[in-house]
Amino acid sequence: MLPDELKVKLREVIAAAESPREKAIDVMFEIQELQGWMSDQAMVEAAELLGMTPLELEELATFYDYIYRSPVGKYVIKVCDSTVCWLEGRRRVVDYIASRLAIPMGGTSADGLFTLLPVCCIGYCDRAPAMVINKRVFGNLTPEKIDRILSQLAKNADFSGSE
Amino acid sequence: MPRLIIDEREIEVPEGTKVIDAAQRLGIVIPRFCYHEALGSVGACRMCAVKFLQGPFKGVQMSCMVDARDGMVVSTTDEEAVQFRQRVIELLMMNHPLDCPVCDEGGQCLLQDETVSGGHARRRFPGPKRTYRDQYLGPYIKHEMNRCIHCYRCSRFYQEFCGYRDLGPLQIGSRMYFGRFSDGPLESPFSGNLVDICPTGVYTDKTARFKLRRWDLQRAPSVCNQCSLGCATVANGHYRGVMRIEARFNRDVNGYFLCDAGRFGFSYANGGQGRRERPLLPRIAGVSASAPSALASAREALENISQKYGPRAIAAAGSNRSSLESQAMLALICKTRDWRGPVFFFDPSERGKTVAAVQELSSDIAVSMREIEKADLVIVAGADPLNEAPMCALAIRQAARKNAPIVTIDSRPLFLPCEFTHFPVAPEKIEHYLAMLVWKAVEKVAENPGKDAEMFCRQLGALSLESAPPEAMAAFSELLLASKRPVIICGTDVTRESTPSFAAGCARLLKCAQKEAGLFFLLPGAGSFGSALLSGTQSQTFGDLVEDIEKGVVRALVVSECDPFHYYPDHARLERAVSKLEQLIAIDYFPSETVERASIFYPASTVFETGSTYINQEGRLRFAQPVHCGGAPISPGEHPPRVYSGLVPGGDHLPAWKALCQIASMPREDGVPAPEKFIPSVLPAFSGLGAGPIYPVDGPRLLSPGPGFTSQWSQRGEEAGEGAPDFELLLVEWMFGTSEFAAWSDSLDAAVCEPHMSINTKDAARAGLSDGDRVSVELDGGAFEIAVSVSERTAEKVLVVPRHQLLDWQKIKGFPVRILAGKIRKI
Repeated sequence: MLPDELKVKLREVIAAAESPREKAIDVMFEIQELQGWMSDQAMVEAAELLGMTPLELEELATFYDYIYRSPVGKYVIKVCDSTVCWLEGRRRVVDYIASRLAIPMGGTSADGLFTLLPVCCIGYCDRAPAMVINKRVFGNLTPEKIDRILSQLAKNADFSGSE
Repeated sequence: MPRLIIDEREIEVPEGTKVIDAAQRLGIVIPRFCYHEALGSVGACRMCAVKFLQGPFKGVQMSCMVDARDGMVVSTTDEEAVQFRQRVIELLMMNHPLDCPVCDEGGQCLLQDETVSGGHARRRFPGPKRTYRDQYLGPYIKHEMNRCIHCYRCSRFYQEFCGYRDLGPLQIGSRMYFGRFSDGPLESPFSGNLVDICPTGVYTDKTARFKLRRWDLQRAPSVCNQCSLGCATVANGHYRGVMRIEARFNRDVNGYFLCDAGRFGFSYANGGQGRRERPLLPRIAGVSASAPSALASAREALENISQKYGPRAIAAAGSNRSSLESQAMLALICKTRDWRGPVFFFDPSERGKTVAAVQELSSDIAVSMREIEKADLVIVAGADPLNEAPMCALAIRQAARKNAPIVTIDSRPLFLPCEFTHFPVAPEKIEHYLAMLVWKAVEKVAENPGKDAEMFCRQLGALSLESAPPEAMAAFSELLLASKRPVIICGTDVTRESTPSFAAGCARLLKCAQKEAGLFFLLPGAGSFGSALLSGTQSQTFGDLVEDIEKGVVRALVVSECDPFHYYPDHARLERAVSKLEQLIAIDYFPSETVERASIFYPASTVFETGSTYINQEGRLRFAQPVHCGGAPISPGEHPPRVYSGLVPGGDHLPAWKALCQIASMPREDGVPAPEKFIPSVLPAFSGLGAGPIYPVDGPRLLSPGPGFTSQWSQRGEEAGEGAPDFELLLVEWMFGTSEFAAWSDSLDAAVCEPHMSINTKDAARAGLSDGDRVSVELDGGAFEIAVSVSERTAEKVLVVPRHQLLDWQKIKGFPVRILAGKIRKI
């Protein structure tokens, strides 16, 4: 169930739009901000707020990489899956993260902190191999750098490491 | 009109024709997946590539995306185009599971055809194939996503063409999935078309699953007889059973598609279990008998009655599901033998409305469903298209997609799969609202020549002023004034007797106002038009017959393809009347109550075993060819009938009209009389159609130029005042659950929902009812229990109840039904 305060806020967001469905993505981001992912229940409630059918909202949700239809960790590590990063050793980066966190691609670590996913080109080709964690981008990845980032994240949710 | 050359052959096509269609006119079928004439072009699958050698485009292009233009030279066989298509099919086949041997689509699969035509045989890609989890999509459609090639036909049909919103494209890239949000039955009552439209086996017909192979089937062009539209179908027979119904293209009637009631409601013909077992053996006094002896004893019994009491003691009844052959034979028998009848209607109001609609419909204002799609404003007056004639709702949606405003004026809480404005009004107010809507567009017509037009216009004007129009009406009046091709769709179910004539008058006036106005009636059944042609305005109804039986004037009743117990509003009275009869002779294919009670029963063949004619509600002749008639060899190869019975091969039952002919010992010159001879003898309109095969399968429209304005409408009855304390009970059709076909087809059970009674919000509040409550409604002949559905969209002062198979509504005694508020009790 979506909390009532959130529903009030979402209704305001939707009311401000010319047609409700143009706010579909914003509504899903708002819910994800709070709950981390879009559960079936959240989908149904959001669709109702937007005057869409759950299927119509699902069409959008599953089209986009940044809307999660299954639970994810607190930090979603998205390693770039495009050509330049492949050339610059993206595979090594994935393998290193996977073994460090003991999860396969798509998995979430036991402590619920990290989820590992691929992402299509994020435009950091000049700093390949690159990855995005939540809304922050990291380039020129090496095992040492990954160690530093991940341990900092694990220690402190409110980190400020950037590249 | 552009002229172009395709594969060295020249053709001229209308402006706007796509190259893919131009080629088809030459008999060249360019491979395609996403393109479908009804859905239009999207250019998604890249399969229809051809090479343009000369003209405004050069090189390989998609033939579904390019309009034919003058001077184009197109090659479908150019090496570059052929190679392009070969690569495309190779790509599309990369993930296909190649499960053709266990796939129901095998043998009629576009993907199989195009793979062969594209020349693809060997998969070069060594990687794994992507796989999916399938969904449960309800009792009719089997989902098998692994076979998908992502052409989008299903979602475009489902969402864009039909307007339902629970099946669509999900995910992205190689995960692309067509399905629902979660498992569950598809909401669209047109979902069966997914089977036809999917180019491969993603959606297959669950009712026919694993039963058949396309090449084993006997196929014949047939006609759906479940509503008055007469949609074109292909009946597929196998081992003496109907296996599947498919939609057959008919430009004027159903286009490419079919509703689920028509597609899946055929299992009565194969016979069901238990009480639904199709009666295949004749019976005399409840004991099985041979066909000749049943017919002979019926003949004898009727002769006895005729000698004892005179021929008028024998009455004959048909129904609106009888074929025209049966109806005409009944009429001919009654004429020659002087029997009473034939009776086709159950009450005078039904007769009045149907006969009026048939008389009013003339070739100058009648429109087909194709023309409804092109209308720029649609008025639905006293009709529920989705429930009375589902494909009509789809035609209305196509008009709405082209921005035609849709206005509905009805007592029921209508639903249409498109945007529409509903005015919920009681039946007696439908004409007022129609008048208010039409008046502005026609008020200046009064000076036009034609005294009748002038008079009708004056009456219309007066009627439009009788009550104040609702606010929303004004805008639609303006839109109607500006429209060029408005269509009025009028029903005969809940309307008053005068409404069909009134609607026709409105259409004629709009015509006088320089509009290409059209009129489209919905009638009660497939045989309604025929029965109206054969009945006069004063013909007897079944109610009259019951009185005659009670008086002892009628001693024998012959009913052909008709179950009075299904339709007659007073079950107990009918039961008593029937028990007074000396003979009840029933000829039918349903195991109906009438058949149960018959003293002599003869099993008739169904539409699938008989060549049957119907005239649809726009007067169009529809002929259904038999798909597996008794005695005919069963396709190449030999196999036993699916159901074992004591029937002698070749001695299967006759069509009802042939049986009737025998029991009335009609004079025969040379064996059995042919329909092309006896139909014109009772229906002069048929005499011009010639001998031999009297008309093509999709026949012409039998309409006269038009009676002009009639005065039928002005003879309106007095209505109860607005302050009346009671409700009018309206019995209505539902798409599933109210027809005889639904009652006897177990294949439709899954689609039948519990009946509920619709009531207006204000009325419900006054009666202390809320949505979902169960009530007991007390009638003159007893009470029935039903759930309540409260809606603002239901008219005030009416109770809308379906003639549902799960509801004993046959206690109402007669029409119209008025119920005092106190007779509705919450339980």
